[in-house]
Amino acid sequence: MPTLQMDFRESLKMAVKTLTASKLRSSLTMLGIIIGNASVISMVGLGEGGRRYISEQIQSLGPNILFIVPGNRETRELGGLEITRNLVLADAEAIAEQVPSVVDVAAENTTPGLINFRNRNANASVIGTNPAFLSVRNFTTDQGRFISELDMQRTSAVAILGNSLAERLFEEQVPLGQSLRINNVTFEVVGVLAVQGSNLGVNYDDAVMIPITTQASRIVGRTSPYGIQVGFISATARDAESLQTAEFQITNLLRLRHGITRPEEDDFFIQNQDTLLTIADTITSALTLMLAAIASISLLVGGIGIMNIMLVSVRERTQEIGLRKAIGASQQDILIQFLIEAIILSAAGGIIGTLLGVGGIGLLSLLTPFESSASISVIVMAVGVSGSIGLFFGVIPARQAAKLDPIVALRSI
Amino acid sequence: MSSLITLQNISKVYGSGNTEVKALWDVNLSINKGDYCSIMGPSGSGKSTAMNVIGCLDRPTHGHYFFDDQDVALLNDDTLAAIRNRKIGFVFQQFHLLPQLSALDNVALPMVYGGIPTAERRQRAANALQQVGLGNRLTNKPSQLSGGQQQRVAIARAIVNRPLLLLADEPTGALDTTTTEEVMKIFDELNRGGITVVMVTHEPAVAKLTKRIVWFRDGEVVNAHMSPDNIGYGTLVE
Ligand SMILES: Nc1ncnc2c1ncn2[C@@H]1O[C@H](COP(=O)(O)OP(=O)(O)OP(=O)(O)O)[C@@H](O)[C@H]1O
Ligand SMILES: [Mg+2]
Repeated sequence: MPTLQMDFRESLKMAVKTLTASKLRSSLTMLGIIIGNASVISMVGLGEGGRRYISEQIQSLGPNILFIVPGNRETRELGGLEITRNLVLADAEAIAEQVPSVVDVAAENTTPGLINFRNRNANASVIGTNPAFLSVRNFTTDQGRFISELDMQRTSAVAILGNSLAERLFEEQVPLGQSLRINNVTFEVVGVLAVQGSNLGVNYDDAVMIPITTQASRIVGRTSPYGIQVGFISATARDAESLQTAEFQITNLLRLRHGITRPEEDDFFIQNQDTLLTIADTITSALTLMLAAIASISLLVGGIGIMNIMLVSVRERTQEIGLRKAIGASQQDILIQFLIEAIILSAAGGIIGTLLGVGGIGLLSLLTPFESSASISVIVMAVGVSGSIGLFFGVIPARQAAKLDPIVALRSI
Repeated sequence: MSSLITLQNISKVYGSGNTEVKALWDVNLSINKGDYCSIMGPSGSGKSTAMNVIGCLDRPTHGHYFFDDQDVALLNDDTLAAIRNRKIGFVFQQFHLLPQLSALDNVALPMVYGGIPTAERRQRAANALQQVGLGNRLTNKPSQLSGGQQQRVAIARAIVNRPLLLLADEPTGALDTTTTEEVMKIFDELNRGGITVVMVTHEPAVAKLTKRIVWFRDGEVVNAHMSPDNIGYGTLVE
């Protein structure tokens, strides 16, 4: 004799009837799953959006760029904060002159600065660099000119303003030819950069660029025994194929210049687009995973909520269960009925939560610079997972219901 | 006439030691097919316990129970569920209708567990409600029906699978005199149609309408073949 008398469609209809009979309770039960799902989907969307944003920025640097950064690869990549200041301008010049596979070399050094124009003040990054900066980083000027070789030689007090800094200081006035003061040193504005947007965490729009030689002598006020220190050097290889050659040649040149004989002693390291992408990927994946893990906890709590309400429901419905058994329901029939109720609750909660999560992602896209989006795979997973949560947390109440003794159940009035 | 229900030395004992309760003690009882029988006795005398055993809802601690020539002790729980579904109809004092379902759906419920197709279920449920005089109340929820109407829905549910046996534990206990008479009329008709009816009642006027009375006291059957004619208003006083 079959133990399951009731067919699946019938069970489904019955469960829907029962759940819609107590709408408030059903929706409250779903709430936990709704919140859990919405947060998982929006958090993962946020993480993915952040990842895409960062890799787009890295890709926008162009495929041929190399960054030469002070410090040892090991200590730097392990997140060590100890960055030794041992790259100098002369290193950059040597690379430009002696490495044939390299087209242009820019040196950058950033110091904090207080900028005054008449009675207006602004805090901004002061970036010392050289004429090649424009071509290496693919930047353009909006007005005037950039730093020239002559500026470098003469340590001229000329400044090129980032676009939004210029707007902030000068508003309607023409910045070109005006004098402003950087840390109390008078500079003449000779150019304004076009809008660049934030670039790998540096906001060039809100910075002021000056010749790195001028920065060393007038702003920093000292040079190391080896020359003018730089924060990092960026170089463009002739083409993508010569990238590896360039990296190899730069390494050899710098080792020679720094008197390094063994690779472990390197006091600089070279990053290209690929290594940057790998690093960024590692970080953003970990971040996404962490966000998802935190959000999953709310999903778990939602599951426990379902179990809790289902247990109460079994207790309240003992008479119903007793009656169903008296008129011929098998243990399996009751088990399936309660399981289906739990699964419907959590799957419906999952779907509603997913819709909310997708909406939340839309909102996050408006509030953050990155294009977040809900991936189909995450949605399918979330609904599947919440359904399974219903199944998992529904088992205990459903078994309790199925095991009820019909006589005891019927008598409980 | 062949026997539908045979209780042989049936005992049902709850607990043990000091707290032991002999709800049924060495009960021998036989009820034939087509019988119309009421079970009477003081409160706590074991009437409901006996009904549960007869209805295959409960298993005795000792003795043998044969229902429709099957030894119930040899059957597993799911088989008993199937027997209850196909061969036994239950009517309870508290009706036990599901509040979220319409009268029609309540009546159709046993057929759902009997695996009967939807269209046939609706047809048969409507017929059963017609039979108890509620053909015009198919879509009402229990809360939209009077007590007597609710009990008639419960009776329709009990007979919809065309059972051999109708078991009713104080079916008129919650009803007034008029509705009691209506319900008894239905039972009478069902019995005439061939269904064996066994009913627990405290009301002599109700018992009088049946063919035979079984009297319980302290878990034992003290009289298995009392004539309804001997029942009077003083009977319950003892
Ligand atoms: N689950 C149980 N555990 C312990 N004792 C029980 C249990 N069920 C019934 N009893 C006892 O068995 C005895 C018979 O109970 P039963 O319900 O059969 O009486 P009844 O004749 O139907 O009484 P009433 O007319 O009040 O309905 C009572 O003493 C009762 O307390
Ligand atoms: Mg009783």
